[in-house]
Amino acid sequence: MPPPHSNRQLTADQVQLLERWIRAGAEYQSHWSFAVPVRPSEPKVQRSEWARNPVDRFVLAKLESQKLAPSPEADRFTLIRRLSLDLTGLPPTVQEVDTFLADQTSDAYEKVVNRLLNSTHYGERMALPWLDAARYADTNGYQSDGERSMWRWRDWVIEAFNRNLPFDQFTIEQLAGDLLPDATKQQRLATGFNRNHRGNGEGGIVPEEYAVEYVVDRVDTTATVWMGLTIGCARCHDHKYDPLSQRDFYRMFAFFNNVPESGRAFKFGNSPPVMTAPTDAQERELEDIDLQLQAAELRLLELEPNSQADQAAWEQTLRPDSSEDWSITRSLQARFDLAGEDASRSLKFEEGDPAYVPDRNTRVAMLDGQRYINAGDVGDFGFYDKFTLAAWIKPTGPDGALLSRMAGQSEASRFASDSEGYRVYWKAGRVQLQLTKRWLDDALRVETDASFPAQQWHHVAVVYDGSRLASGVKIYINGQSQRLRVLLDQLNQSFQTNQPLRIGAGGGPLDRFQGHVSDVRVYDRDLTGDEIGIVATEENLGQLAAIAASGRTAFQAKKLRVCFLAEHADLPLREAHANVQRLRDERTKLLDAMPTVMVMEEMPVPRETFVLIRGAYDRIGERVSPGVPEGIAPFSSGAQPNRLDFAKWLVSPENPLTARVAVNHQWQMIFGTGLVKTAEDFGSQGEPPSHPELLDWLACEFMQTGWDMKALLKTLVMSATYRQSSRVTPELLERDPENRLLAHSPRVRLPAEMIRDQALAVSGLLVDQVGGPSVRPYQPKGLWTDLSGTDYEPDHGENLWRRSLYTFWKRTSPQPTMMSFDASAREMCRVRPGRTSTPLQALALMNDVTFVEAARGLAQRVILDGGESASDRVSLAFRKVLARPPRPEELTLLIDNLNANLVRYRGDPDAALALISQGESPRDEQITDSELAAYTALAGLILNLDEAITTP
Amino acid sequence: MNPLLLRRLLINRQHFFGRLGIGAAALNGLISESSAASPKATLPGGLTGIPHFAAKAKRVIYLFQSGAPSQHDLFDYKPQLVASFGNDLPDSIRQGQRLTGMTATQDRFPIAPTRFQFAQHGQSGAWLSELLPHTASVADDLCFIKSMHTEAINHDPAITFFQTGAQLAGRPSIGSWLSYGLGSENQDLPAFVALLSNGSGNPMDQPLYDRLWGSGFLPTNHQGIKFRSGADPVLFLSNPAGIDASDRRRMLNDLAKLNEIQLAEQGDPEISTRISQYELAYRMQTSVPELMDISEESKSTVDLYGPEARTPGTFAANCLLARRLAERGVRFIQLFHRGWDQHAKLPAQITGQCRDTDQPSAGLIQDLKQRDLLKDTLVVWGGEFGRTVYCQGRLTAEEYGRDHHPRCFSMWLAGGGIRPGMTFGETDDYSYNIVRNPVHVHDLHATLLHCLGIDHTRLTFKFQGRQYRLTDVHGHVVQEIVT
Repeated sequence: MPPPHSNRQLTADQVQLLERWIRAGAEYQSHWSFAVPVRPSEPKVQRSEWARNPVDRFVLAKLESQKLAPSPEADRFTLIRRLSLDLTGLPPTVQEVDTFLADQTSDAYEKVVNRLLNSTHYGERMALPWLDAARYADTNGYQSDGERSMWRWRDWVIEAFNRNLPFDQFTIEQLAGDLLPDATKQQRLATGFNRNHRGNGEGGIVPEEYAVEYVVDRVDTTATVWMGLTIGCARCHDHKYDPLSQRDFYRMFAFFNNVPESGRAFKFGNSPPVMTAPTDAQERELEDIDLQLQAAELRLLELEPNSQADQAAWEQTLRPDSSEDWSITRSLQARFDLAGEDASRSLKFEEGDPAYVPDRNTRVAMLDGQRYINAGDVGDFGFYDKFTLAAWIKPTGPDGALLSRMAGQSEASRFASDSEGYRVYWKAGRVQLQLTKRWLDDALRVETDASFPAQQWHHVAVVYDGSRLASGVKIYINGQSQRLRVLLDQLNQSFQTNQPLRIGAGGGPLDRFQGHVSDVRVYDRDLTGDEIGIVATEENLGQLAAIAASGRTAFQAKKLRVCFLAEHADLPLREAHANVQRLRDERTKLLDAMPTVMVMEEMPVPRETFVLIRGAYDRIGERVSPGVPEGIAPFSSGAQPNRLDFAKWLVSPENPLTARVAVNHQWQMIFGTGLVKTAEDFGSQGEPPSHPELLDWLACEFMQTGWDMKALLKTLVMSATYRQSSRVTPELLERDPENRLLAHSPRVRLPAEMIRDQALAVSGLLVDQVGGPSVRPYQPKGLWTDLSGTDYEPDHGENLWRRSLYTFWKRTSPQPTMMSFDASAREMCRVRPGRTSTPLQALALMNDVTFVEAARGLAQRVILDGGESASDRVSLAFRKVLARPPRPEELTLLIDNLNANLVRYRGDPDAALALISQGESPRDEQITDSELAAYTALAGLILNLDEAITTP
Repeated sequence: MNPLLLRRLLINRQHFFGRLGIGAAALNGLISESSAASPKATLPGGLTGIPHFAAKAKRVIYLFQSGAPSQHDLFDYKPQLVASFGNDLPDSIRQGQRLTGMTATQDRFPIAPTRFQFAQHGQSGAWLSELLPHTASVADDLCFIKSMHTEAINHDPAITFFQTGAQLAGRPSIGSWLSYGLGSENQDLPAFVALLSNGSGNPMDQPLYDRLWGSGFLPTNHQGIKFRSGADPVLFLSNPAGIDASDRRRMLNDLAKLNEIQLAEQGDPEISTRISQYELAYRMQTSVPELMDISEESKSTVDLYGPEARTPGTFAANCLLARRLAERGVRFIQLFHRGWDQHAKLPAQITGQCRDTDQPSAGLIQDLKQRDLLKDTLVVWGGEFGRTVYCQGRLTAEEYGRDHHPRCFSMWLAGGGIRPGMTFGETDDYSYNIVRNPVHVHDLHATLLHCLGIDHTRLTFKFQGRQYRLTDVHGHVVQEIVT
């Protein structure tokens, strides 16, 4: 309704018209989609024998009302190709076609349908539009567009479709699986759906602004996917057309606003909250290692009784004045004892002469606040690396850098500590760890709560677990884990530098350490507290042995014990000990290799939600509590409804939208256009359904059959409507150019992914493994470097030929061939595919190495399997792609093309070799170059046919 | 094929395209309406009723300076700031405005006057820094706006805002709107071309994103086509090794015949569209390499663009290509030059950036002018926001850096529909706030469309139940700067 100040007035005629309308008995009706669907009775039709199921009766009734007749049933070649592409996204094999043709039983068609619905490729096909809706991608989508890892969620989707998880459960698990009672790992994994939105890690953003954007994205996406509503309008003002107030928007917003997240995402990798999501194989491997570990630990226990006596005997052999020592050496990357002999190694004193003084019963390095030690290229760690840095120090000055790999202070920087790198720092008695990419907004800094006296020896150990979080840092003083203060916890990019490891200095001339340093150790692992205790135990083996067993500290005892087990026990015990170590390492390695997924989680205390005036993050309005737009369906929940209540509301029988929207998506997938053409908008600005009763019948049927996706799809593809020929007459085009009446089957250009998958399948290149990390197939060089830093590196081998839904998807530079065929860039939710026809598509199909290589693969297969005659081989190539055999005039044209190709490539062997050398897949050397090239060109022609990239 | 049936199909197809609008749309230059019978026959794309009024400009060359050039060091002369060197920015100027996360925790905001000398140029007396001697020589052809402002404070949202009218991804870019509304004037080239180059001032600068020339919710045939330096200026333009032009021609002949058989069988006009797309692809295989080949350009012309014009992939080379694209009727030519994000070491970096861009930008103006193309080509020069008057990091007489500043910055426009030799808008003494004639990004878009004969409120596309436009629900044509 236009506001009064717009001064829009009805004309006298318009007022009269309205009056007439009211007088004629106009009745108020709410918008069709906001009334709960009621199962309509099936309409009466004249040609009832045509109808195979209720779908057909609705379609036929409409056709008959328009004096139109349905088209005849398509031939079997067409039917099986259509079914295979629609239900699995892959073409039928020639054998599958032949089996279907030969099957004279009355349920031959249904058998094909059942086979396809039970194929694992069904889940992959169903995932395609769902990934578009869920804006799934492999990168974060802003600025540097760093990688993320959500593929375990993608595999959950495939698997959920394959096990035919009912759509209501599919909905609940993705929106609120984490809140289900005793939520399983799989149910938590499912909630990755609403973490697929982009995440901004750009330096300098205002995190509060993006925290709002993420929640808005979740609300918009959820509303579009399940409710078919463009709720985004209500972010800034009451919806102008649909019953959604701005308050409704923020009440829904409140459901999605309780994730413990920061508006500032990590630039690279997954941003919290995340969960570890091992694959089934990894789960099994972990179980296996755990069993082995149990056995190994048991074995150690068995040997224990004898070992005590053996250890005592060994200790007897240690002389108190011996200098023999031992410490943790596993993962020790470098050690500098700094007793004066290091000079022969890579150690170099800089900005001063070498200086060693006697102390700690040995000699130690003496640093004067000027000179420092350059230890060379060790400790080259970045933000994903685990490491431990340890040293004995006796500070004599107030502040100074103990250990660092850090760039020199930049000219523009005002502080030495600003520069990039890592640094362990002595600051007035406290020990700090500083991990810095850019000071002030991209760094991590923690320090010990307690401070320690100068002029005394302390053992300092700093441990970092590669998590990029302050909570992943531990600092030990004299073996004791310290309480830490977090000064900054905003690390977003790696602090790795090409600087040397410096002892006693940071990057520049300031902040040099003053005091004594000894026994510097660099481990490329996060040592345990026990291990740190051993490293911090100063006494050597002889000294320890001299202490009565009862008088030893825990660390002292441990040092002796571990040394004994590792090096001096008898062979079985040493082996048992080593075995436990090895298995623990393997376990850690396995855990580290497990993929993670960003998931939904609730904060214990919900974040407060306010109406944001004009949608702006910093203009706070009225406070709201979580709730649903009650104009749509009643909401029954407790006093404090949460996301789970919301998800249940979506799939409650009183909700008029969800089932309709869901069946419409499936209709769109099968028939090209939804019954509601605006699949994303069921509101009053969307298009009304072409067959309202059919939509309601399907929605009711869907809910009644327990939201059974496979049953729904089966109903659609078993219909006579689906089985019609796609042939169209000029008369029909004139009458119904968009084919909304369905007097014939639609011809729909295949989605981008299917065009490539089909080419891979018919060429024999397709590697049909389901699921796994995203892969990098061919892509022209330089596309990423055109935009920024590093280029795309294609994989090699099998990863080049996986189905396209596994292709690594970089949002700011998506795969160009996919994009030219209207793939979604995955920056936001999309529920209606684009379908254009452009010359760039022609260029890609003709010239992209993907298709040139596929053509060669197809050529090779028909030469090897297609018999001896050209006509048989050509027919086979044709049938592999199109299922049907060529018509005589087509066959003549194709053979002529082949013959011309043969003449061409026999006359130009270099050209032949060049053509068949595209792509990395090996070729059959038995076939001559010219023959393979001629057939490759022919196969390319077939792959470029309009029919090849269109559902028949 | 039965010629009567074919005729019937063609008539129906036009009807079909007229009604459909989306999906199979035949709206831009890339979608030709040619038929199997007459593969050369094409119709200009575009919407009926557009232009809404007489256009002053037929095309746009947008020289986008990515990373945000400092207005202080190039255009917005504030001589009085020298006396304030190192002083804190007065609170009365900052007015509590938000800062980026990079300097929000900085404890001081010391004023950094520009290190560079300014002088007045041309009849119009435009103030320009010594970094822009060539721009200075064409100052009387340019219209400087000192009072641009935007809403975003970081690169990604700010560039996205400039190119699509919205900070978040998903809307069509300017060029896509023009392709959709105006179509192409060239049947062998796309209506919207993007050209990218990297700055020598700051090679590790801010990235770009495909969405900046993407079509958002418009059909993807309206997306910008990136032309690249090297063997394949358009992706997959070249035939694979072992296929030459005559092989391709022969394959296309056979392909057309096979597709025609299917067309006769199926009756689907989309097949006919497909045939013509292959023909257009074939023509592009010739027209694009021709376009990229500058060997026929005279030395004096190439010299206008400076010494780098012969190095493919540079901003200079792209400016020359922009003129060649303009000559061929390409509707929207979008250049992106990276490297302007100068948080530190600004003096050295901006000097490098100006070396990259000053002469080529001015050369483009001169070249367009000498070919009488400037009168109907709109040229736009500028970045996504401005930079702060206060220093980021340590300030010395020689060294400084500047953070992002959305509240005011400078751009220039020239050519079709724009008043030459004027300066519009004014900022305060610190170039921190606008004091006269603010121009918002939406206003710039409205003005740009106005020059092309489009009422920005009437170029719309219905998506998700609402009519969208480039300027959303905002934007005013800056009448003072248009002719």
